Amino acid sequence: MHVSLAGITKRYGAILANDDVDLDLVPGEVVALLGENGAGKSTLMKILFGFQQADAGEIRIDGRPVVIDSPRAAAALGIGMVFQQFSLVPALTVRENLALGHRCTPWWIGRGARSFAAPVAHLRDIAPEIEPDLPVSRLAVGEMQLVELAKVLNLDAGVVILDEPTSVLTPAESERLWEQVRRIAAGGAAVVLITHKLEDVFACAQRVAVMRRGRMVATLDTSSVTPDALVRLIVGAETVTTAQPVERTADALPRAWIKNLSATTAAGAIAGVDLRIAAGEILGIAGVSGNGQQTLADAVAGLAILLAGEVIVDGETLQAPRAEMPAQSAVAYLPEQPLRNAVAPDLSVAVNLMLKRIRDLPWRSHPSQFDADARERITAFDIRPTDPRATAASLSGGNLQKLVAARELAGAPALIVACYPTMGLDLGAAAAVYEALFAHARRGAAVLWISEDLDDLLRYAHRIAVLHRGRIAGIADTAQATRRQLGAWMVGHSIDVAAEPAHA
Amino acid sequence: MRDLMLSGPGRVVGTTLAVLMLTGAFFLAIGRDPVELMGLIVRSAAGDGYAITESLVRATPILLCALATALPARLGLITVGAEGQLYFGALLGTGFVLANLGATSAAPYMAMIVVAMLAGAAWALLPAVLRSHLGVNETISTLLVNYVAALLVTWVVYGPWKSAANLGWPATADFPEAFKPSTFFDSRVHSGLWIAIGLAVLLHWTFVRTRWGLTLDVLRSNPRAGIAAGLNWRRNVLLTMALGGMLAGLAGILETASIQGRLQANLSAGAGLSGFLVAWLARNHCLRIIPMSLLVGALLASGDGLQMFANVPSSIALVVQGLLFVAVLLVGGYANRLQVRRG
Amino acid sequence: MDSLDIVFTGFLISALRSATPLLLTLLGECLGQRTGVINLGAEGQMLVGAMAGYGATAAFGNPWVGLLAGAGAGVALSAVHALLVVGAQANQFASGLAVWMLGFGLSAYFGAALVGQQVTAFDSIDVGAAAQWPVIGSVIAGMTPTVLLALLLVPVIGLWFYRTRTGLRWRAVGESPAAARAAGVSPATVQIQAVLVGGLLSGLGGAALSVDYTRTWAEGMSAGRGLVAVGLVIVARWNPWWTLPAALLFGGAEALSLRLQTADTPISAQLLHILPYLVSLVVLTLTCLRRSDSGTPAGLKAVMDR
Repeated sequence: MHVSLAGITKRYGAILANDDVDLDLVPGEVVALLGENGAGKSTLMKILFGFQQADAGEIRIDGRPVVIDSPRAAAALGIGMVFQQFSLVPALTVRENLALGHRCTPWWIGRGARSFAAPVAHLRDIAPEIEPDLPVSRLAVGEMQLVELAKVLNLDAGVVILDEPTSVLTPAESERLWEQVRRIAAGGAAVVLITHKLEDVFACAQRVAVMRRGRMVATLDTSSVTPDALVRLIVGAETVTTAQPVERTADALPRAWIKNLSATTAAGAIAGVDLRIAAGEILGIAGVSGNGQQTLADAVAGLAILLAGEVIVDGETLQAPRAEMPAQSAVAYLPEQPLRNAVAPDLSVAVNLMLKRIRDLPWRSHPSQFDADARERITAFDIRPTDPRATAASLSGGNLQKLVAARELAGAPALIVACYPTMGLDLGAAAAVYEALFAHARRGAAVLWISEDLDDLLRYAHRIAVLHRGRIAGIADTAQATRRQLGAWMVGHSIDVAAEPAHA
Repeated sequence: MRDLMLSGPGRVVGTTLAVLMLTGAFFLAIGRDPVELMGLIVRSAAGDGYAITESLVRATPILLCALATALPARLGLITVGAEGQLYFGALLGTGFVLANLGATSAAPYMAMIVVAMLAGAAWALLPAVLRSHLGVNETISTLLVNYVAALLVTWVVYGPWKSAANLGWPATADFPEAFKPSTFFDSRVHSGLWIAIGLAVLLHWTFVRTRWGLTLDVLRSNPRAGIAAGLNWRRNVLLTMALGGMLAGLAGILETASIQGRLQANLSAGAGLSGFLVAWLARNHCLRIIPMSLLVGALLASGDGLQMFANVPSSIALVVQGLLFVAVLLVGGYANRLQVRRG
Repeated sequence: MDSLDIVFTGFLISALRSATPLLLTLLGECLGQRTGVINLGAEGQMLVGAMAGYGATAAFGNPWVGLLAGAGAGVALSAVHALLVVGAQANQFASGLAVWMLGFGLSAYFGAALVGQQVTAFDSIDVGAAAQWPVIGSVIAGMTPTVLLALLLVPVIGLWFYRTRTGLRWRAVGESPAAARAAGVSPATVQIQAVLVGGLLSGLGGAALSVDYTRTWAEGMSAGRGLVAVGLVIVARWNPWWTLPAALLFGGAEALSLRLQTADTPISAQLLHILPYLVSLVVLTLTCLRRSDSGTPAGLKAVMDR
């Protein structure tokens, strides 16, 4: 099945997400679709999968123009897609999930759909160790991805699209996925791998298509291109502003002590986490998402009730077990998913910018009082739209990140907890947020920085601790840390909590 | 058309049209002339001085119950507990009166009001604590405790507090004059109406102009963000529910003392649920609640007139009330969908 | 058979009979909530079901026609909820209350003429030799057709829900509408179907109440059973199989209060009537106390926690 996209154009308001994009998908070949966040990769594939309609351009299958107006139509044409957000039902078993979308599921499926074997045939092939009668909620992220893949294979898809498949995987899981991707292509399907990681490209793609700002800038054979050349294509001619790493202060005083912390929230549990952060130090937390990162951040920021341990900042106990202590102004918190965790969506940007000071307001207060103050911060952090009365819900994800950073990094916090603070930002905006964060480190604040991006962690953090199943699996100085060691810790190999280095 | 649907006046017009169409269709279905019947409703609700004062009488507890619903709703809670709080306020308020039957001064009257309000607050705190500390859904729990409160009142008027002077009718002894709120001219309209309107204005000012109002806005919009800013969600759940309960308790004792003159079963006549409808109609805006409760009060009051003059069962007013609620949700829901689609 | 046995079976029969209208409604509500729609209008649907069922039985002299009419009335009223919640995407709690209000008004209006009318009762079921079975024999003999129907529906719906393709699709919609849509299932269609089936069962429950259990019609006669059903679905952990014990809790409490009344206990009847509501509330609280989210359909969690 030869699919070609020609002249695809898609506009969202003022933004041209896809501008006259061409792409050919050939059976038996893996194409890596490479580009920054917001380059238009996902939009292009959503159009191919029928989630969105192009404003102009056409899709041809084996030379014949086709209309794909829904995911159902795409599936009928043999196009399958594995999304970043899995479309699995966590409460159902693997088998039930596979039976749900299967064409020839009979009326009577029996208990747990067990009387029906066809849907799990592909899964047995690609991941024989996954127990089909386990609820999906009990699987690891990597296993869920394989189940999603089996679902797409069940469609007998001629085109398989994978959206950022390795972004949540450990190095070992990624390797396994690459192998499966190569196998699927060898079986005659055309595979599209949407990614922003160069290692994905060189591991399994024969061809690489690079997008930038909605345009297709190059389509090349992987064998004929170097990583440096690809980076230049991704970012273009513009000079990339990157943040300046913070110099490590030699004999800095300890500033924050996360002492033997245990807590459980709906997002997961942590147990016995013990970390010391010096003044001006950036401590990175790596790990596969869902291993207790959010609970750790919430617990340190005072949003989770502790089962054991303390949070001590500048010698003062801010959080203690079983006590409901209000959030402290000494701690700045940039949580993940700001819309869900950090802003009041139907209130104005101005109100959201002063949330941390709300308890210190006079008892007679009106939101219009905050406009002048808000305008200043909106300019400083380049938040758009610039209207302080606009509701927070009307902001894009990137601007919400900036809004939360503008609010939390305003004062002089002693400890900053930042979870994926640059997720969804383009390189320039990410650099600005990093700069604001690092300015506090230079001033002497302790920074606890949770990230999934090993590259950024290795570039900017002073030490990196790895969280696995709610425990610290290992901690290393960035200078001595290797990807291999961090990757092993991520999957829980060798849980030997190294002694804290002397300086902390 | 779309912009019209999204605007405030557009919604009002849309809702009015929808409710007229729905009731018109219903009147046709039961074989009555819609125009004639709607005219009758208007006349029996506001045709003469008596009709108007009866509408105001009916509106008073509805207004208080609507405020009792709107208060927790500022925090995003959907409570239907005003009915039960009204009963419990009336119950303990009456208990206080029965213990002080000989009183003549104004002090016991005020004490009766306070007792009833505290009783309403206490009754509201039960589902409030269940919600804030155990996560029990407040809509379901308030509905269940409503029945308990109503049955408690039924019990005392059939049993321990039943007065022999009523010749077998299940009710307590009549309240002494000292416990009856002042009324206006010859009507049954009592001071509770002005108290309720005053409270609505005060609450509106509080919500819009104070730090507490802003606090509630933040906690409603996103409790997690509010808690992260050091706000106390649990305490505000208890506070808004208790304050709401006080207003409903006030409605209960005023209705008992002024309109009925003694405690008897079924004293609320659905004021709690009508209050919920009014709060929804006004989208929890305390100033809008005032005209809306007058409207719904008038509609329900017209039912009695219809029964007397047109030989239509008074329950037809209940049907129209239900259709009104359906129309509001229908128009509001579709308008919201349009808004979401426009982003 | 000793006297204790008689007391026990007698109690079981009266608990079953008073639980039956609730059980039917509970089954319907359970299916609705499993697809992510909570329906407080079950109370109104029971009322129109009771009114229509009673009216039809009085008019046609056949209680089976009454059950059919009640179910039909329930479906018709639940269509309003489906329209508001799935169509207009209105708030589910508010929509349920609107349906309750409307059902209360409609049943009061059309039921005014039915007050005081007499209806034909169901013929007793001939259970043959089963009546002679030890212990349960007398329970079986004491059953009415609606009790039997409700008891049969529990396994039928339980099996259908967990072992058929349609049941799987309904469960998927309640857990994750997005995943269901990706698998080619239309969440809106499934939710509408579930609300209408809920209307059918609660209408049937209402008819069972007026035609078979009380054999009278009175305004507002369901007395909160529909609302109790909404709460008891949580107690049953959204599992159709568990609706039977959950309904028996309420039925048992009601049977106990009736029994205590006839036994000349010093506690007043009105006070005893509180028992079923109190039991429901306490069990609901205990269920939430466990703090585990197991069994809560994820789609419903979004509705309840907002």
